[in-house]
Amino acid sequence: MSSKVIDRDATIHQDAPRLKGKGTPLRERVFHLSLWVSLAVAVVFLASLLAYVLSEGWSRLDPRLWMNFPDYIDPTQGGAQSAIMGTVWVIGFTAAYCLPTGILTAIYLEEYADPDKWWNRAIEINIQNLAAVPSIVYGILGLGIISRGLGFGQTVLTASLTLSLLVLPVVIISSREAIRAVPQSIRQASLALGATQWQTIWRQVLPAAVPGMATGSILALSRAIGEAAPLLLLGGLTFITFNPSGVQSQFTVLPIQIFNWISQSRAEFVSLASAAIVILLAILLAMNSVAIWLRNRYSRTW
Amino acid sequence: MSSTLSSRRAASGSPGFLKRSQPRYGEKVIKVLLVAASLVSVLTTIGIVIALIPPAGEFFSKVDFGEFLTGTNWAPLFKPASFGVLPLVGGTLMVTLIALLVAVPLGLGAAVYLSEYANKRVRKIFKPLLEVLAGIPTVVYGFFALKAITPVLQSIWPAGDGPQIFNALAAGFVMGIMIIPTIASLAEDSMSAVPRALRDGAFALGSSRMQVSTRVVFPAALSGIVAAVVLGISRALGETMIVAIAAGGQPNLSFNPLEGMQTMTAFIAAAGIGDLPTGSTGYQTIFAVGALLFVMTLVMNLLSIRLVRKYREVYE
Amino acid sequence: MTPPSDATGGTRIPQVAFRSAPSLAGPVFEVGSLSVFYGDHEAVRDVNMTIGHRQITAMIGPSGCGKSTVLRCFNRMNDLVPSARVAGKVHYHNEDLYGRDVDPIEVRRRIGMVFQKPNPFPKSIYDNIAYGPRVGGFQGNLDDLVEETLTHAALWDEVKDKLKTSALALSGGQQQRLCIARTIAVKPEVILMDEPCSALDPIATAKIEDLMTHLAREFTIIVVTHNMQQAARVSDRTAFFTADVDDAGVRHGRLVEYDETERIFSNPSDQRTEDYISGRFG
Repeated sequence: MSSKVIDRDATIHQDAPRLKGKGTPLRERVFHLSLWVSLAVAVVFLASLLAYVLSEGWSRLDPRLWMNFPDYIDPTQGGAQSAIMGTVWVIGFTAAYCLPTGILTAIYLEEYADPDKWWNRAIEINIQNLAAVPSIVYGILGLGIISRGLGFGQTVLTASLTLSLLVLPVVIISSREAIRAVPQSIRQASLALGATQWQTIWRQVLPAAVPGMATGSILALSRAIGEAAPLLLLGGLTFITFNPSGVQSQFTVLPIQIFNWISQSRAEFVSLASAAIVILLAILLAMNSVAIWLRNRYSRTW
Repeated sequence: MSSTLSSRRAASGSPGFLKRSQPRYGEKVIKVLLVAASLVSVLTTIGIVIALIPPAGEFFSKVDFGEFLTGTNWAPLFKPASFGVLPLVGGTLMVTLIALLVAVPLGLGAAVYLSEYANKRVRKIFKPLLEVLAGIPTVVYGFFALKAITPVLQSIWPAGDGPQIFNALAAGFVMGIMIIPTIASLAEDSMSAVPRALRDGAFALGSSRMQVSTRVVFPAALSGIVAAVVLGISRALGETMIVAIAAGGQPNLSFNPLEGMQTMTAFIAAAGIGDLPTGSTGYQTIFAVGALLFVMTLVMNLLSIRLVRKYREVYE
Repeated sequence: MTPPSDATGGTRIPQVAFRSAPSLAGPVFEVGSLSVFYGDHEAVRDVNMTIGHRQITAMIGPSGCGKSTVLRCFNRMNDLVPSARVAGKVHYHNEDLYGRDVDPIEVRRRIGMVFQKPNPFPKSIYDNIAYGPRVGGFQGNLDDLVEETLTHAALWDEVKDKLKTSALALSGGQQQRLCIARTIAVKPEVILMDEPCSALDPIATAKIEDLMTHLAREFTIIVVTHNMQQAARVSDRTAFFTADVDDAGVRHGRLVEYDETERIFSNPSDQRTEDYISGRFG
């Protein structure tokens, strides 16, 4: 019986038109391969960058790094405590300024603003442009207006205000996306039950949008943590051997400290900079992982 | 069944029973708060303009605008000072060009791969990886360019003088890698927005995947792809730390990427570190160069925003 | 699962005076020369109808004839569409719904709405029911209100052991009955239903129809439906809408005929109604 089946198959194959191609043509394969290589280059670059800073910084990855203050006479005893604490202070205040502002703006644009009105469109284009303004230009804003114009000086306050303006568009754009993902039917159901607009937003829209907003906020803050250029422009923040004690304190942050060590010629500073980079990347990687986890954990299909 | 809810309510039919039972000031206060928050972003733009214009204006009252734009010698802090911005612009364009030569093919390649070839699992691995790449601070990229890429280039350089310690090539290459996620993600967005039906139609006519990608999806997504590249240009023009660390601090009007050269951003940063006194011509150069940079990136950004709108209008 | 209790055996459903307006015998809604515009487009033109107290009114007609648009005028849900504009008279107990000082929130607390697709909040069953009373400033015992409401909607036996679980875990039919329950928890006078069964299977549809028949003792119900049998089964009066196409090719919804349901289905006065009822178009 089985042989019969095979025979029938053979006949069919003889009579059927050929559907088998001549194999994938070479140029298709080359194209596919080159696309794959594009991604591979990025990944290999990332891997070698991480490997390089780890190998260079390994010898200095010990408590000296976070217990000690910078030391330009004996770099082997130098550490980044003031920079780490400075980063914590600056980013804490940055979050306090930019998250509420950004989320409130996003609520206005998504829930209240009539997109047909020219001023709302102008606000929107303005935000899209601000998202792509070079960070050094925000530094000029910080220097010219906040530090010298308002007289706040080279302080934690100036730095966190500057950075919060820098990442504000990122917070706004990601919060808007999170709010927009909440289906219209939920809003209608709430309003039809006699809820006011703000009750609808506060009790239905925002709870559903929180995971998305949290993801965007974390990514925005991790951008602020890595920024050096605008703070560099504020000037004079390179050699700080004390932790901030308030918003009026002078300070340094990790990226600035790293930049400063890179600029030194002695070899000890290379490993010191590498070790500080490892710390910085570890912080960022942790934040990114939390953001990605949040997104995957709470991504809801309505 | 007595309930507070219904007893508080005016009976239907009584005069004005549909009017507000209690005033809702809260709702109004909240709206004012939301509008106020939205104005912060508007004030930011106004602040940037106010920060730039007066000092830049003062600068141009001392330095001829034409000389600034066409002069080939940039030495603002020397005596006699010279304010020709072309060396900075040249350095910026050189590094940007190198970055684009790296980022455009690789970024678009990655975008086509993720949008047209990769399955869901592959996308789930590579997209976060690109995000990590985008999240690496530029000071780290600069460090890597200076301490790792430049030595490698020097050691593998086949003939003649290799790259100098500070050079545009390494800085541009690393900047190109940095821009890949920007270009890839925006381009992939626009390709994903191309309707399935267009692809299905082409496949039904017997097209291969490569033909569908290059002849159907790519042209259909073109405005978004161009927007991605333009945004990439804007990021390259404005990037500071990589060039400040790896391209050097010498203004140098040269077409040789192996030499060090200073970009506009690197000059601004260097002048900022110098902590120049308010009102000095040196201090004002920061704002003059900054204004030029702001205008250049503004043009790119507005172009990119326009192009993105165009593809959204077509498919959404 | 509770079998759908019918009108004669429905002892499980307590008959409670649920409304705030016991004294009214006159019409609930009077609509005159109602037109609705979306931008410049007149989507519905010149609708006149009167809706009676504690009746079920069905609105039928082909898609795009404007019946949902008219329904949304009754609780000002059209306000949410920025380009929408309403002209003509919509009176609710002699009060102009579109009057100057009328508060749409107050309107919606009296005139509830159930939507086409079940849209429970992504919260627990309990919180779904409690939401309306909470936002309305309810001061009494919420637990009692939730139980009473769910019982009233014939859903209590099915969900009493899982009040704290997510409403999204319920079946589609249960979700829709939860949405009806959620609406009556606010104790409105009128319930608007916009094709409430179009996403449901026949068994779930039958349960909703039974529920509607029950609720009609306490509430005035206006239901938009695609399903003519449904209109014939549940409603007291039926309004038939259709769309005219004008010279420019633009569609305008129009009320063709509005009468006792029995009459509409047995002896309509307009040819277009008869064609639609007998399945000749639509």
